[in-house]
Amino acid sequence: MSGILAPQADLDSAPFWAALREHRLTVQRCDHCGRYRFPARPICPRCRSWGFSWSEVSGRGTVLSWVVSYHVTHPAFADQLPYPVLYVELAEQPGLTMYGNLRPADAPITSGMPVRALFEDHLTDAVTLVQWAPA
Amino acid sequence: MFEGEGLRALRDQTAIAGIGYAPFTKNSGRTPLSLALEAILAAARDAGISVDDIDGIATHHVNDSAAVHEVAAALGLGDVPWYHEEFGGGSRAPAVISQAALALAAGASRYAVVYRALNGRSGMRMGASGGGRAVPGAELQYQQPYGLLAPSQSYALGARMHMERYGTTSEQLGAVAVQQRAYAEKNQRALMRTPLTLADYLSSRMIADPFRLLDCCLETDGACALVLTTRARAADLAQPVVTVRGWASALGPDDLSKPGGDLTRTSASLVGPRLYAMAGIGPAEVDVAELYDAFSFSVLVQLEDFGFCAKGEGGPFVASGALTPDGTLPVNTHGGFLSEGYVHGLNHVAEAVSQLRGQAGQRQVAGAAVALCSAQPGYITGATSALMLARPS
Repeated sequence: MSGILAPQADLDSAPFWAALREHRLTVQRCDHCGRYRFPARPICPRCRSWGFSWSEVSGRGTVLSWVVSYHVTHPAFADQLPYPVLYVELAEQPGLTMYGNLRPADAPITSGMPVRALFEDHLTDAVTLVQWAPA
Repeated sequence: MFEGEGLRALRDQTAIAGIGYAPFTKNSGRTPLSLALEAILAAARDAGISVDDIDGIATHHVNDSAAVHEVAAALGLGDVPWYHEEFGGGSRAPAVISQAALALAAGASRYAVVYRALNGRSGMRMGASGGGRAVPGAELQYQQPYGLLAPSQSYALGARMHMERYGTTSEQLGAVAVQQRAYAEKNQRALMRTPLTLADYLSSRMIADPFRLLDCCLETDGACALVLTTRARAADLAQPVVTVRGWASALGPDDLSKPGGDLTRTSASLVGPRLYAMAGIGPAEVDVAELYDAFSFSVLVQLEDFGFCAKGEGGPFVASGALTPDGTLPVNTHGGFLSEGYVHGLNHVAEAVSQLRGQAGQRQVAGAAVALCSAQPGYITGATSALMLARPS
């Protein structure tokens, strides 16, 4: 696959991207109240505790919504049109959501469709992305 | 929390006394500063004040415009005691106006100018690339690897969810574009004035499914400016008085990452009750609504969130023809961002002022006395703000 628009990790999110390189999907989990959170944040938005652990999740989820792009918003995606982006709710907790592309890109999409995470290595960028396939 | 008493005392105390534009084009060939100055000079002339009377300047931008200090210097204003400049695009225009209203009420300014100037088509385009967009913070990392970059894609996620949950259709989205175009046909400022049918809409090319090209707003070079002062001072100026009856803002539950999962409800559902509380009126008393229409769906969902129809009923509401001059709620009477031009919200406010003055020409809504103007962010659950304007009886 040609070059991607690589993510710019920050100090909060670096462990998430590092775990993906090892093909592990992780999110933060509050040590105090047990709430999962994603994207990476310094404190728990429910109990405001600082303590957390990176917790590996099942990679199971459902499609809450999706968009299929037919328009070039960045040259990196020009050769992928049309491409679907999924809005996925992870099985671990209501409202715990992530984006990702559908693999294969032309698979049928329905609302509530179960999906599973897969790991897509982009060697030139030294990045692994989590993507989603029909479960 | 709504600390109502302090705000209710400010109801109708601020007036929008002047409106001005720089022409809406696809390629201005001018700097945003030049566009800002043209709109400000026009607004001062419209209000009947001297430029030397301006002692407050405010704007919002996304690093695509002229800063307040540049505008003050270019106008030759040696001393501007009140200024306000915030980062933000679509969510901000009513919020900036509300800051000016507070400054005027406190006596920090006597005549404040609010402007928005940009080369939104020939310069930095909101819809073209996330690479050029000035998105603050870290959250783009979770979207850009997947090509989720433009507001059209973000709002399409909400539209798709609304369609799945409530049965909203493409034809209903198209009804928004068609009804707004009919207003633009009567608006000489509008960039898109050729008649539009639902068949035209349905045959326009797909951009971010379910959005077609004609679901998406224009990208526009241009500027708009307002002169604000107190109601008492406005009574001595050139135009019929239009007051700010109320305002409300909300940061919203999130910006880019959308925890929570519900994309069928905008932050207008937070703003609406506060807006109505400050204004002392409800949706049934609104004569005209200028609703932020970056996308057709933005209008449909705000009609629900501001209480003009029930949740999930936005589709049938717009398909009924409700937005037309003879409908239950004329909406985007200048053609909106879909057909007039897109300067991130101030042109909605200026159009509402024209309607309330009775100066909207062929597109005048008979007897318009109360108008609601709204904002929307680039992400459906992010910050927003709104104004209620009125023609005092």
